[in-house]
Amino acid sequence: MSPAGRRLRAVADAAERWTNADFPPRVRTTRALIARTGYTEPVVDYALDRLFGALGRDALLATIEGELGSLAALDGFVTRTGRPDVAYRGLARVAIVSSDTTIGVAVFPLAFALCAGSRVTVKDRDDRLIAAFGETLAQELPELAERFESGVWDGHDEAASRALLGAADAVVAFGRTETLAAVRGLLAPEARFLPFGHRTSAGYVTREALADERQVAACAGGAARDALLYDGEGCLSLHALFVERDGALDAATFARRVAAACDVAAVEFPAGYHELDATVVAYRRAALFRAAQGRGEALAGVTAPHLVVFDPPADEPPPLLRRTLAIYPVDTPSDASAFLRRHGLPLEALALAGDARPRADVEAFALASGASRIAAFGSLQDPPLGGEHGGAGRILPFVRAIYRA
Amino acid sequence: MTDAAGRALDDAFLALVRAWAGGGEGCDESAFDAHARATFAYQFERNEPYRRFARAQGVSEARAPRTWREIPAVPATAFKDATLATFDPVEAELTFHTSGTTAATAGKHYIERAALYDAALLAGFDRFMLPDRPKLRYLNFVPNPRFRPHSSLGYMMGHVAVLRGDGKAAYFLEDDRVDVAGFAKALDAACALAQPVCIAGTAFALAALLDELERDARTFAAPAGSRLMETGGFKGRARVVERAELYARLTAALGIATEAIVAEYGMTELVSQYYDAPQSRAGETRVKVAPPWLRTLIVDGDGREVPAGETGFLRHVDLGNRSSAVAVDTEDRGYRVDGGIVLLGRDLDAPARGCSLDAEALLARPFVSTLSS
Repeated sequence: MSPAGRRLRAVADAAERWTNADFPPRVRTTRALIARTGYTEPVVDYALDRLFGALGRDALLATIEGELGSLAALDGFVTRTGRPDVAYRGLARVAIVSSDTTIGVAVFPLAFALCAGSRVTVKDRDDRLIAAFGETLAQELPELAERFESGVWDGHDEAASRALLGAADAVVAFGRTETLAAVRGLLAPEARFLPFGHRTSAGYVTREALADERQVAACAGGAARDALLYDGEGCLSLHALFVERDGALDAATFARRVAAACDVAAVEFPAGYHELDATVVAYRRAALFRAAQGRGEALAGVTAPHLVVFDPPADEPPPLLRRTLAIYPVDTPSDASAFLRRHGLPLEALALAGDARPRADVEAFALASGASRIAAFGSLQDPPLGGEHGGAGRILPFVRAIYRA
Repeated sequence: MTDAAGRALDDAFLALVRAWAGGGEGCDESAFDAHARATFAYQFERNEPYRRFARAQGVSEARAPRTWREIPAVPATAFKDATLATFDPVEAELTFHTSGTTAATAGKHYIERAALYDAALLAGFDRFMLPDRPKLRYLNFVPNPRFRPHSSLGYMMGHVAVLRGDGKAAYFLEDDRVDVAGFAKALDAACALAQPVCIAGTAFALAALLDELERDARTFAAPAGSRLMETGGFKGRARVVERAELYARLTAALGIATEAIVAEYGMTELVSQYYDAPQSRAGETRVKVAPPWLRTLIVDGDGREVPAGETGFLRHVDLGNRSSAVAVDTEDRGYRVDGGIVLLGRDLDAPARGCSLDAEALLARPFVSTLSS
């Protein structure tokens, strides 16, 4: 087996071990993740299942072949139709700063950087998920132990940050705008930088979907999962949902269906907190007051602390709060586009009804929305490995092409 | 013009204020309860947005609150979403705009009769800030009421300065800029005359003042009897300074003892104010006390009262709010102690754990649309 093939197999085999909820390192890490994040066990289990379940051998291979043409290109020159022969070399040093994320967001870039043959350093979280996964990787392929290290250090320790980041050929960083700006300032001039800032996700329901009870149920149930998973704190969490007016089911009734679906989803994914934040309380109260004035509806969870708000003021951005979903009635995708533009909302993903090819105007809206991913309701939080996270490739950022011509 | 029922409530309120200002105890539980419920009934009849909200909370003509504790409280943000007035707002003698928040649009508190606000203000200020009845010189880091007539804080200090000051009040805050040079000159002049001063300002403005004074290594020894009123906190500000740290720096820079630094806690949406209890000013935990016509419940996120001693959100019932809404829910957290409440900071929310955009991050982003044209 080629060196790249060995690395790929080691990553896939290690990930497969982590798909087993009884695997002792996963059990320990699950406890640590619950302690760090406060998320309930079903939520952490869901996250780890999705994370490691995605890293199958076939999916890894398909992604690499999709981006590089072939896995063999990582080990030497390969021929291409109509273009010069090419080989891809992994960048020498890759650094991943996972400072401000939910669960395991560093795992995918780590996997691909290792497949590329890079040395990788990861700034881990207190739960040390990456360190624990790294031990499994080393068990699968001891040479990976030489190519990987992780640690936890204070982001304000500029000397430590500079030592790591200044020597990296590529840096992947997750965090707030100011964090990303600080990281960028520490990089070598020619280093590649893949910043993943805080973003949000939205959804769009057409009147065609509202005419089909099966799609209504799928959209409402899926939207509820997308909004409540990870307590609405991920960039793939649904925060704004646009619903077309004048459908067979009116938008307000659809909002009530979503609220009812949230009550169900909250059983599967309970809230990871007990006390409401002041900002959430203030928003709920304001929504209830507005609803009492006949302006929209505020649909609070029956037994859990979520809130679906129908027709909130369009001159305000969506609430962007935990387990709080704003539903906006619109006439056309242009209304949704105008809303996103007005509030400068950076989208990570956009959810659409999944059954049929979207209407032309909806597809045009989706392409222009700024989202790098279009997904069916209910799958927002389950991005496939083969997708381009944040609009960038998975392995391409960690390799340099060498062509022969 | 105020109707007869409104005038009767106002007369009763003013009598209550006068009695307390004259050294009386104010009102007991049953008197407060009766006055609060009468005020709510008055508002239920005349204040349509409040009536709609109360109905949504299960209150009706046939099912009125049984005690003042059951009066539905409007969220403070409701002053932004509706005109909460028992009268035609064009006849308001005072209109205060909410400020110091990051809300896109300001709320408005219409007050039909200034006499109620003035009486409540002076009675509270006299008791908690001026128990020794000095004529102070007011050096204000609050909006100048001449230029910002809709600032409740500006109105408050302007009114106090005129009625209780030495006639040489000055203002050193314009928008977010503090006039440190002007302040230094004014304080030097007061020091030269041994004229005690009252420095009043928002915590944010005072922190900005300190930054400049400390940069220039400038210190003062304010005349004996001087005091400082801090208010407003850091609402809506990205920068927050710990209160103990702020007071220590103020003492070092201005020569005003910590015990003479008093935090006022008020809201544009209320007529009345809380102040630090005198006996708590030297301690680590300051207890806020209010005049007897302002009472506060500690409630959870769903509006239920929490057990004594537990932390919750503050719900104020202010009899001075006769012409708007008598009960107001806030985002401020605190807990009850003997004789008052302890106010907690606004930084108690759990930090976000994920990469989702939040309102703060959205506001901090350069406004560059990511949408294609």
